[in-house]
Amino acid sequence: MKHPLTRRDFLKGTTAAVLGASLGFGQDSSGAKKARVVLVRRRDVLDENSAINPDVLQGMLDEAVMKLLDETDPVKAFGKLVKPGETVGIKTNVWSYLPTPRELESAIKKRLMDAGIAEDRIGLDDHTVRTNPLFVNATSLINARPLRTHYLSGMSGCIKNYIMFAESQPALHPDSCADLGSLFKLPMVKGKTRLNILCALTPQFHGRGPHHFSRRYVWSYKGLIIGQDPVAVDTIGLRLIMAKRREVLGKDQELPPVPKHIQLADTRHGIGTSDFNAIELVKLGWDEDILV
Amino acid sequence: MDDFSRSIPRKIGLLKASGEDHVYDRETLYDYMDGGAEVYLAFDFRQVWTRKYSMPGGKELTVDVYDMGSPEEAFGIFSCDREDPGAGIGQGSEYGFGLLRFHQGRFFVTVMTADEDEEAGQGVLEVGRAVVKALGPPGPGPDLVGFLPRESLQPDRTSYFHGNVNLNNRYFVAGENVLGLGRSTDCVFAEYGTGAGERGYLLLIRYPGEERALAARRSFLSSYAPEAGPEGLARTENKKWVSASARGSFLALVFESPSPDWARKLVSSINFPEK
Repeated sequence: MKHPLTRRDFLKGTTAAVLGASLGFGQDSSGAKKARVVLVRRRDVLDENSAINPDVLQGMLDEAVMKLLDETDPVKAFGKLVKPGETVGIKTNVWSYLPTPRELESAIKKRLMDAGIAEDRIGLDDHTVRTNPLFVNATSLINARPLRTHYLSGMSGCIKNYIMFAESQPALHPDSCADLGSLFKLPMVKGKTRLNILCALTPQFHGRGPHHFSRRYVWSYKGLIIGQDPVAVDTIGLRLIMAKRREVLGKDQELPPVPKHIQLADTRHGIGTSDFNAIELVKLGWDEDILV
Repeated sequence: MDDFSRSIPRKIGLLKASGEDHVYDRETLYDYMDGGAEVYLAFDFRQVWTRKYSMPGGKELTVDVYDMGSPEEAFGIFSCDREDPGAGIGQGSEYGFGLLRFHQGRFFVTVMTADEDEEAGQGVLEVGRAVVKALGPPGPGPDLVGFLPRESLQPDRTSYFHGNVNLNNRYFVAGENVLGLGRSTDCVFAEYGTGAGERGYLLLIRYPGEERALAARRSFLSSYAPEAGPEGLARTENKKWVSASARGSFLALVFESPSPDWARKLVSSINFPEK
């Protein structure tokens, strides 16, 4: 029988091995091309009231995407992701307490338009993506959502953000949402995701029951985690959440129960890498209390 | 549940109901919750009635009244996630940082605001006091809680639930459902002082029959403590002890025990019902 992850693995310090490579003890990745993930932070992106400075945020997005794609111009960088004439869906997240910030949606949209996408061919949606013509006809998708813990899946990141593409969301909930990675193989989605943006401006590291939000469990991290591999992006997001939980809640509560879907998106569904050793994490900007 | 739209005032102090009230049932709860519906569906959840109130200055709060089917189930969902001091509302309550949670009769209620200043907090409590008046009389708690040993039991830390999802959010045991928990099982998870400020934990599970309890014990020991002997005791990596004991249709698990004897004594003090 395969050994299930238990509390004792924490006590032994072997959670990483059991949870998978998510934490850095995974497959042999020597020689393989690494999945690049860019973490960009700017101290001045939020003011003292957590209001977003849209210009700074635009700069962060530009800087990260340029670095991701080895470009020196943001429009050229986005031009590597999408082509004029395409229909592009920006899969956002509308959870009322911690939605994808409007300023981030606008920044993405601006660069898509700069890259030649007509405004009326850009969709921005969450709950109705399955019937939204701009998503039904989309040839490219941009996946953008905030980073937070989740009572069932452990973490809500870029992988989980596609659950609205599923015909049945409850069908994906068993076993701590283990098979969320399968979403990226749906016909509406497969092969279309050009960019994954995990918004870590104010991540939420703990929750008190479903759909709970409290400012005591969010902090101003002022970051964006960006990559083309959703699993790699979420792997970095999970490391960040775990580091913050360890710092605030203690080692016993380091792991939000139980984010196995990230590793399974790699090992079962093959949609990306959860092996930290196979991820090239590039850090840009403000590095105080960076945690990862 | 629609009665709440009439019985709960639309104007409470300076707060005014905004938008339409909504009701979600077991089929539609997913429309309301981002994946967290399972946590409620693991109980005998029937419906949730929800309303928003706006405060002067644009602040907003949300009221959710969950019909959990019975007072035991309402206590259960309340008990799984307690961190804050009591608020004196309903049969049991807590309030902290803009979140009020309480249970009364077969109802579990949350009143929440993302604005956590004093004014918003007062609004949350005011709404809670108005809502509890519409909920009817209190009801009994789960009988299983009464089986717990009383000595050194930490007040307000006992949780009652059925499913693995609730256990793992309360106290992570295993990524798989190694105890075979589900709607047909009743569980209490309790904390005990072991001295020197440390805690030991008792998980008491009632299965539909003796065979299920024995099978769960075998499964647990195989996954969690394969080195345990016939008594079901094993020393864990933090130099504490874990034990698994079956009695009839009950399974008692002790975690973080300072010694084998402490675990044995705790289990022997359980007030199992007479057959």
